[in-house]
Amino acid sequence: MTEPYLRVENIVKKFGPFTALNGVSLEVFPGEVHALLGDNGAGKSTLIKTLAGVHEPTSGQLYIEGKPVKFRSPRDASSAGIGTVYQDLAVNPLISVTRNFFMGRELYRGPKGLGLLKMSEMDKIAHDEMLKIGIDISDPQQAVGTMSGGQRQTLAIARAIYFGAKVLILDEPTSALGQKQQMEVLKTMMRVRKRGDIAIIFITHNEIHSQLVADRYTFLALGQVIGAGKAGDLEHDEIRRLMAGGAEMADLEQELAGI
Amino acid sequence: MSGRSEADRRQRETTLQRLIRRPEAGALVVMIVAIVAITIASNGNALNALGIKNNLAIIAQFGIIATGAAMLMIAGEFDLSIGSMIGFSGMSMAMMLKWGLPFGLGAATPFLAFTITLCMTLFFGWLIGTIVVRSGLSSFIVSLAFLFFLRGTTEVCFRLINQSTQISGLPDFKEDSLFARIFGGEAFGFLYDIAFALGFNLNRRGEQWVTGVDARVVWWIVIAGAAYIVLSRTQLGNWIFATGDNKEAARANGVPVNRVKIGLFMFTAFCATVFAACQVFDTNTADAAKGNLMELNAIAIAVVGGTLMTGGFGSIIGVVFGAVTFGLVANAVFYIPWLDGSWYRVFVGAVLLAAVFANERIRKRITGGI
Repeated sequence: MTEPYLRVENIVKKFGPFTALNGVSLEVFPGEVHALLGDNGAGKSTLIKTLAGVHEPTSGQLYIEGKPVKFRSPRDASSAGIGTVYQDLAVNPLISVTRNFFMGRELYRGPKGLGLLKMSEMDKIAHDEMLKIGIDISDPQQAVGTMSGGQRQTLAIARAIYFGAKVLILDEPTSALGQKQQMEVLKTMMRVRKRGDIAIIFITHNEIHSQLVADRYTFLALGQVIGAGKAGDLEHDEIRRLMAGGAEMADLEQELAGI
Repeated sequence: MSGRSEADRRQRETTLQRLIRRPEAGALVVMIVAIVAITIASNGNALNALGIKNNLAIIAQFGIIATGAAMLMIAGEFDLSIGSMIGFSGMSMAMMLKWGLPFGLGAATPFLAFTITLCMTLFFGWLIGTIVVRSGLSSFIVSLAFLFFLRGTTEVCFRLINQSTQISGLPDFKEDSLFARIFGGEAFGFLYDIAFALGFNLNRRGEQWVTGVDARVVWWIVIAGAAYIVLSRTQLGNWIFATGDNKEAARANGVPVNRVKIGLFMFTAFCATVFAACQVFDTNTADAAKGNLMELNAIAIAVVGGTLMTGGFGSIIGVVFGAVTFGLVANAVFYIPWLDGSWYRVFVGAVLLAAVFANERIRKRITGGI
């Protein structure tokens, strides 16, 4: 096995008296989908915000390609190759696909700010990059508001990859989507995985989705890792048990029956 | 797999469908109706040589401030201080021209009066913008505060120094100051010369009647042209749209949201100052009441031009159409003797309401609501 692109070692994050993360470690390898699972409040959001440079960890260390790094801002994280696609996707519905794709990082000639946009070149790149991961948009000048949720997800993913993401953090990309669009997003993830140079951290509530695509799992509960392993090493029931924060399914069935 | 993809479900639009969906489509229709109706009702007087000059004077005034207001609205904010800013900068320039520079620094040239005033108004624009982005308060309320503050300051300064809230009879600086002519002089004289040579543009004695349009028309063309290019062709334009649409998304992608907003508050202040300078140097007068309600006219014109109240969408061409429409209707009373001038406000109210509905419909179509 190659060395992990990103290694998280013993991360602790406290908000005042509240311990959100209590010594979390994980490793993320290029060309793999790493499913990060856990119930609400398990610390998933805090963990990805720490990786994305939004929060600084109270203690613990991040390593990129073996070298220790410290993120003071989201900009630090993105220049280290960590691209985060949040649930709200950070797209603007009223403006065009191209304008969204290059938002804040436009191609222009002339001075910064007042430089003229190279619109046709940007149209072409936006179209090609989205085609690479599976969506052929007929018109890059169409407003993002006209696209489906799955297409918006693809736009955000293609944008993150184009601007140099080596670790793609997808925050519940399949929630709030219809069945067919969920499959589109999973297909998109597999296409990205196939490239081999990008690691995906896939945050989800949905064990079926995670089993369809994940190579490796980490389960969080109450700010701690309660289980981790490669896809082949974990049984279906074990995954389900860990998903529920360690509760036995059989116990739950009994409890439900007793009501 | 059937070979069909999500993209196939979206029809490519025809050119006509595209044009109808554009934000300025409604404004164009209203403008054409207004031009035709006023031309007929005034027996063509509204569009004779003098009519065009007088109409363009007010159209350009509306156009200058509406451009600033529209740019700011596209970035998601309002500026209600525009009217008071006009009054303040007119007072400031006229007072310096009459009473000399502050702190007894001697007489003011038109250039100095304008530059010092512009520094002050840009500072106020910066201050409003900074308060809005730092506090997160609604720009409606912050700029409303400055509406009162600046108007009050204008009146107090007038009474303290000038003992009257008006200044009239300033010397005509246009005679020997090029700088004053840039704001208060005339332009496009050659077009009127050509019209004269062709046998139009005659007064009753058969001499040339009108020599040119007001210089503010040039300012309007420059400001609207620059705004159009910035908005549609430049990186800053993309930042402005992104800021107004979803500012958190813009920020997450590295758009300097706060600087964009503060810069646009300064731009509306600049537009208000140009408006006032054109007025002061044209008429050689100033009045504490100048610019009253102009902020609301500017916002109305921006909305009629297709700018969304919620930001993220709008068109400078639409604002140009809106300014032409509003200017013509505001001036119509001078060419149509039986018309009551208050119909202007009736018109503004009706058109504004219709425009808001039309804009909302466009927004829903774009975001897939229809």
